[in-house]
Amino acid sequence: MIYVKLPRENFTAFFESLKNYGKVYGPVKISESYGFKEVSNVAQLSLEYPRTMIPPKKFFVKPKERIFEFDEEKMEYRETVENTEIVIFGIHPCDINAIKLIDRVYINEMPDKYYQKRRENALLIGVSCHPDEYCFCKSTGTSYATDGFDLFLHEINDGYLVRVATEKGHKVITQNKHLIREVEARDMEDFKENERKRLTEFKLELNISGLQDMLELSHDRAIWREYADKCFGCGTCNLVCPTCRCYDVVDCVNLDLKTGERKRKWDSCMLRKHGLVAGGLNFRPTRVERLRNRFNCKGSLREDMMNCVGCGRCTVYCPADIRYVEVLQKVRGEIK
Amino acid sequence: MMRLENVLSPTPAKIIKTEKMTDIERLINLEFLDKNFAKEFIYKPGQFVEVSVMGVGEAPISICAARTNPDILQLCVRKVGRVTNAIHNRKEGDLLWIRGPYGNGFPMETIERSHLLLVGGGLGIAPLRGVLQYALQNREKYGEITVFYGIRCYNMMLFRDEFLHLFREGDKQNVKFYLSYEAPDDKECYELACERSDRCTQGVVTKLFEKTEVSPKNTYAIICGPPIMYKFVVRELIKREFRPEQIYMTLERRMKCGIGKCGHCILGNGTSIKYVCKDGPVFTYLDALNTKGMI
Repeated sequence: MIYVKLPRENFTAFFESLKNYGKVYGPVKISESYGFKEVSNVAQLSLEYPRTMIPPKKFFVKPKERIFEFDEEKMEYRETVENTEIVIFGIHPCDINAIKLIDRVYINEMPDKYYQKRRENALLIGVSCHPDEYCFCKSTGTSYATDGFDLFLHEINDGYLVRVATEKGHKVITQNKHLIREVEARDMEDFKENERKRLTEFKLELNISGLQDMLELSHDRAIWREYADKCFGCGTCNLVCPTCRCYDVVDCVNLDLKTGERKRKWDSCMLRKHGLVAGGLNFRPTRVERLRNRFNCKGSLREDMMNCVGCGRCTVYCPADIRYVEVLQKVRGEIK
Repeated sequence: MMRLENVLSPTPAKIIKTEKMTDIERLINLEFLDKNFAKEFIYKPGQFVEVSVMGVGEAPISICAARTNPDILQLCVRKVGRVTNAIHNRKEGDLLWIRGPYGNGFPMETIERSHLLLVGGGLGIAPLRGVLQYALQNREKYGEITVFYGIRCYNMMLFRDEFLHLFREGDKQNVKFYLSYEAPDDKECYELACERSDRCTQGVVTKLFEKTEVSPKNTYAIICGPPIMYKFVVRELIKREFRPEQIYMTLERRMKCGIGKCGHCILGNGTSIKYVCKDGPVFTYLDALNTKGMI
């Protein structure tokens, strides 16, 4: 890894230079919450944000996107893969780790062209953060991003210690070398001190050891009924989850009834029609099955890997006040 | 930059024949316009394709025949929703758009040199027909083939000529074809039962287990039918000492992508999460024991 220092006085100039690499998006305060929006100057940024409502997955798995246009009469269709370069500034480690999990699904096997293209066209710049009372990324092992970004800015006393993870990130640093300094001994000490302190700030903990077995052994337990009775089945948890990536496909026809487009859009496993098959049979007919399925899906992407990065969004935004960690503590029998 | 293949791109195929099989099912025969693509479109029994009608949508349909050369892709389609209704309304010469083949398919090599017991209920016979055809194309590789086919009534019988031929003449190819029908007053089926009382019975498909001795010895059972059917058939097989890994079954879900991304076909629990589209649709009963909610 290459480490450099970005002194605080150069931050604004550095941020301005990012516009050379594409449209720049960063965390912005929107009413009571935060979101990644296009930003034109540093003043718009809210770098102290706890979490955005909609995670940065939205840049890669789009809430709604066109896959292709078709013309039935001419018997042809046209792919519509976009090619816009973007910079995502200020991503937290949990969200970087979440993107890595989605990569496993969308790139590692049967690569999805639309997703892969957007990943290639994005410059990811991480920023260090402090946990609030909903964060439990320390427990899920995702409180630190070892890779999955181009640059990562760790705040230190008089600026940032920057980790340079990729060729792309290195290019940005080289082209901005007038803004960059070498890392000094004091900066390294600052970095270590901050990381150590940060780990002591976590208030919420989830024991994930053996969680997959605990979930399976709780399959028929009343706990799912208990929470299903509380759950509104609204699907908010899916929308705000940085690792949820289910999609639905719809065809939209133009008024000529011959041309149109195929779209895909975010879907939600908490909605009734997610488990529905043709003919009306539903494999997850009630909220009990749907809620349990969601917790199992978050519990394992694959048998050996959790599909949750501990960002806390599903708890913060749940209108029924279902607390993710509390549910799993009940599953484990840690609370009654 | 490397040129990326688009896994969501469908390929046009022309309907060369569409045959009415029952009031709700049609057999669609397709030929790819691109002959080179057709050559490379190799599939196994039990795999499925995503079929598009542009402007209506896409649906997963299992391939109901073994591959032949030159290939005609055969799909048995029941009209139950928007896409399948649109497929039914397409005429010969019209286009459908195909992606695939997807899924693991039946392990035809693993089950070589064994006897096969195929248990199909209703439309579930469609993917099993691919297994049956494949085994008949490679007759020397497989032992005795027994088929249990459960139907509601004579009018709902799929591939009627083909199956009645096997029902009557199958023994010449070492195929024992059994039939069960649910409607008690079905005249045609009653006649079949009179014709071969040892091969045809009134009742659900599990009734056929009473008709014949089913031995687990060197045998693989392959099941496909409506979801309710699986546990009853499995119960009969386990009673006859089939081991869970000797029982294969193929499952139905609403696979929107076919490639493990859209999430609709997810099932299972903590230690065993499966996507029907890419880990299946063919699973063993051992998988089902490991994976909650499979059957």
